[in-house]
Amino acid sequence: MNQSIELNAGTDLVPSARVEGTSVIASIRGEIDLHNSPELRGAMLDVLLRGDPQKLILNLQQVPYMDSSAVAVLVEALQKMRRIGGKVFLTNLQPRVKGLLEIARLDTIFNVVKDEAEALAK
Amino acid sequence: MATPLNHSVPQPLPGENGSRLELHLASHTAELAKARKAVEHFAAHHGFSENAQAQVGLCVNEAMANVIRHAYGGTSGKPILLIADYDESPDLGSTSLRITIRDWGNGRNPSEMPPKPYNALEPGGVGLICLRRMMDEVTFTPQPDGMLLTLVKRK
Repeated sequence: MNQSIELNAGTDLVPSARVEGTSVIASIRGEIDLHNSPELRGAMLDVLLRGDPQKLILNLQQVPYMDSSAVAVLVEALQKMRRIGGKVFLTNLQPRVKGLLEIARLDTIFNVVKDEAEALAK
Repeated sequence: MATPLNHSVPQPLPGENGSRLELHLASHTAELAKARKAVEHFAAHHGFSENAQAQVGLCVNEAMANVIRHAYGGTSGKPILLIADYDESPDLGSTSLRITIRDWGNGRNPSEMPPKPYNALEPGGVGLICLRRMMDEVTFTPQPDGMLLTLVKRK
């Protein structure tokens, strides 16, 4: 069984992140628009740098709303992961976030799964 | 003992006067959530579905973000006037929310820009796609000193 190591993300938007094997699982929290998406970008880059994952799992359970600037942060993380042959999983999507990803045609580009367990199993 | 009524209809907010909501905003990203929530509340007050409220709110967010980023080039404190009108014409079978967003910046009219194929993996373009897919009408009307965007959502 893989050991889970806390990354101590410690920001309002990314309150927790942990490493499990070659995966990093980060929880994102809050309504995200152009006002705070730069903060999310910084936290994402930090998680990628320190976790160095093959698989990035973003739990969006506590994200009831995001706009296109937040989507751009997710796409940037996806691009970085793809460059190293990694994957990004989005879990626990709330209806508004899911709707935006569908409109942006990103629902099929990200690996959208039900929860963290499913993402870890894939 | 009387049971309190469950007031599910949202009560008017500041700036909301019957069938009109008028917000005098500044070009600061902190204003985005305020404008979005006020418009969602206004749409809810006039009986729009939760899905329609969410779509209108997101479109206001995206339109205002474009004004802040492009029309005002990221400069804070410039004026943005948002007016939402609820139009009810039962004889015409038409009920709609008409939102205008006026700025005094240097934005370009997207309708006059050369069409660019959308690539989901390239930055940009999502906001405009939201406007065009979620609203029933989207009209950019250049003004001598800025831009007037009109968004219409029918019930």
